[in-house]
Amino acid sequence: MAISLRESVEIGLADIWTRKVRTAVTVVGIILGVMSIMVVLAIVNGMNKSTLQWMEERGGLNKIDVHRNWEMDRKDWSLASFSLSELKLIRSLIPEAAAFTPEISDRSTGITKGELYFQTSVSGVFPDMTIVDEWNISEGRFINYFDINNSNNVIVLGSKAATELFSNHNPIGEYVYMQGQALKVIGIMQEKYLKMQGGWGGENALEYMNRRAFIPLTTMLHKISPNQTIDELSIKASSPEKALKLKTKLENILLNLKQGKKLFEVSSIKEQMDQMKQNSLMFTVIFVLIAVISLLVGGIVIMNIMLASIQERTREIGVRLAIGARRIDIFIQFMVQTILITTLGGVIGIVLGYAILNMVGTYLSMELVASLSMIYAALAVSVGVGLVFGIMPAVRASNLDPVNALRNE
Amino acid sequence: MALIETKDIIKDYDMGKVKVRALNGINISIEKGEFVAIMGPSGSGKSTLMHIIGCLDAPTEGNYILDNLKVSQLHKSELAAIRNKEVGFVFQTFNLLPHLNVLKNVELPLMYAGMSSKARIKQAKDILDSVGLSDRLKHKPSELSGGQRQRVAIARAIVNNPAILLADEPTGNLDTQAGSDILSIFSELHAKGHTIIIVTHDMAVANRANRIIKIIDGKIVDGNIAA
Repeated sequence: MAISLRESVEIGLADIWTRKVRTAVTVVGIILGVMSIMVVLAIVNGMNKSTLQWMEERGGLNKIDVHRNWEMDRKDWSLASFSLSELKLIRSLIPEAAAFTPEISDRSTGITKGELYFQTSVSGVFPDMTIVDEWNISEGRFINYFDINNSNNVIVLGSKAATELFSNHNPIGEYVYMQGQALKVIGIMQEKYLKMQGGWGGENALEYMNRRAFIPLTTMLHKISPNQTIDELSIKASSPEKALKLKTKLENILLNLKQGKKLFEVSSIKEQMDQMKQNSLMFTVIFVLIAVISLLVGGIVIMNIMLASIQERTREIGVRLAIGARRIDIFIQFMVQTILITTLGGVIGIVLGYAILNMVGTYLSMELVASLSMIYAALAVSVGVGLVFGIMPAVRASNLDPVNALRNE
Repeated sequence: MALIETKDIIKDYDMGKVKVRALNGINISIEKGEFVAIMGPSGSGKSTLMHIIGCLDAPTEGNYILDNLKVSQLHKSELAAIRNKEVGFVFQTFNLLPHLNVLKNVELPLMYAGMSSKARIKQAKDILDSVGLSDRLKHKPSELSGGQRQRVAIARAIVNNPAILLADEPTGNLDTQAGSDILSIFSELHAKGHTIIIVTHDMAVANRANRIIKIIDGKIVDGNIAA
């Protein structure tokens, strides 16, 4: 009949209370270890979350981009573009793609309206752009195939572009000018917003997208900037997995189309995402390792202090044995005490970790994601450290010879 | 059969290269209800004998029979149970746990016996009442006089109602008055039927007993017959 766990806990708590300073010194290592685990995991979780958000705002994991291969031969430079008939051919070869749009950007001209001049990036696109980028219209309509076929003089403005040019007036049906062409405003894009991480360069990480404007690809090619060529494509697959397959297929199609010359680079956002996850995993592993090392050091410190404490309390152990404590009772007493100390350290570490996360989060305006499972993990780790490093001192205490222990001064 | 029987007990201590023989063929027999004093000069082996009688230590050779149990054949956890229920120890230096209050100290043997908190508080309070300390329950040992501390120690030794009370120089650290009070408690306990064995080298203490066993150099020289 061993003493109950409740009694062991009572004895342990009383010991911790009587030896407050010693306990405080003992748990510092555990506190630091648990704290660093908390902070690192929260930072990594936060980074993953904001990366994912960024990717999603940019069109999601289904998106594939085709752009010029910057490593190609200079003499092939003029070949690296698509004609409208080549676009049709490519589209017909990838019927499984959910959406398809080429893109030509003019960053030099800007938009004028009377005296007002708004410097921006205007893109010539297909109607599918709204699907590829998962970016919808908030007012009016987007470019349609009728506009494409007729090279209509229409324009869709980003939300920032609209307010810069028209302030509070409704721009729909009004005209703006590019290269002497009057373009009728037919729609306004939804506002894009993503909280800036790290607090530099303004509030909204996607503000540059709200400054953009879109016109039909054909209008861009035939009326606004005839010297431009089509060298960028955006394609949407039906799922992230299919995006990887579609990417390979597109690479082959483009190679065949351009006589085996690798003039274009095909990249999938899913792939980029996986790469980023791999990088952040390495980061996580390194920092968790550092935290584990500090927990190990903390554990060794606790073991050392428990051994010293048992040395000091040899006589008490002798008395307990003399009045009927069994070895298992002594073992449990010291085991429970070690675990109580490490758990105490764990709890303090979690609380301090949270405080630090709050401070760092506000100061750097960074998103830090602390989850309940992290708290459970931190608690489990601190109990585990107590279990592992408590065994040796507890065994030593329970193996003391009663007579020798009583003689100890 | 006597309560305590030892047969040719030898106890050697291994001091590195030298072996020291603390007990050299001890044969004693103590009946239930006796009040016995074990006397001898320091180093004579009397404390060792007390440790063996109290199941804190095991003889190197020979047999010890306690209440018809062959102690040398018992498992360590059974010895702990005997120390808990059959034997109560009183030490010269009191050996109270300094961080626990008087009540908690007296509760300890009951806790190791597996008694519930409520029951043991009642029993410990009753015992402390009987040694006249019911107004000191929440005091720490350091807040008590020597005589009071020894009374707490006696309360702790008898709280589980053991058959045998073993005391090693119980008055050694006390002044005459306190010592005499403690001895009176032993006499009362003896009158109530407890078997009491006191180890001492003080003749005044030994004279309280019904029988004096004298031990020199690990051998009994006198008193091995019940009075």
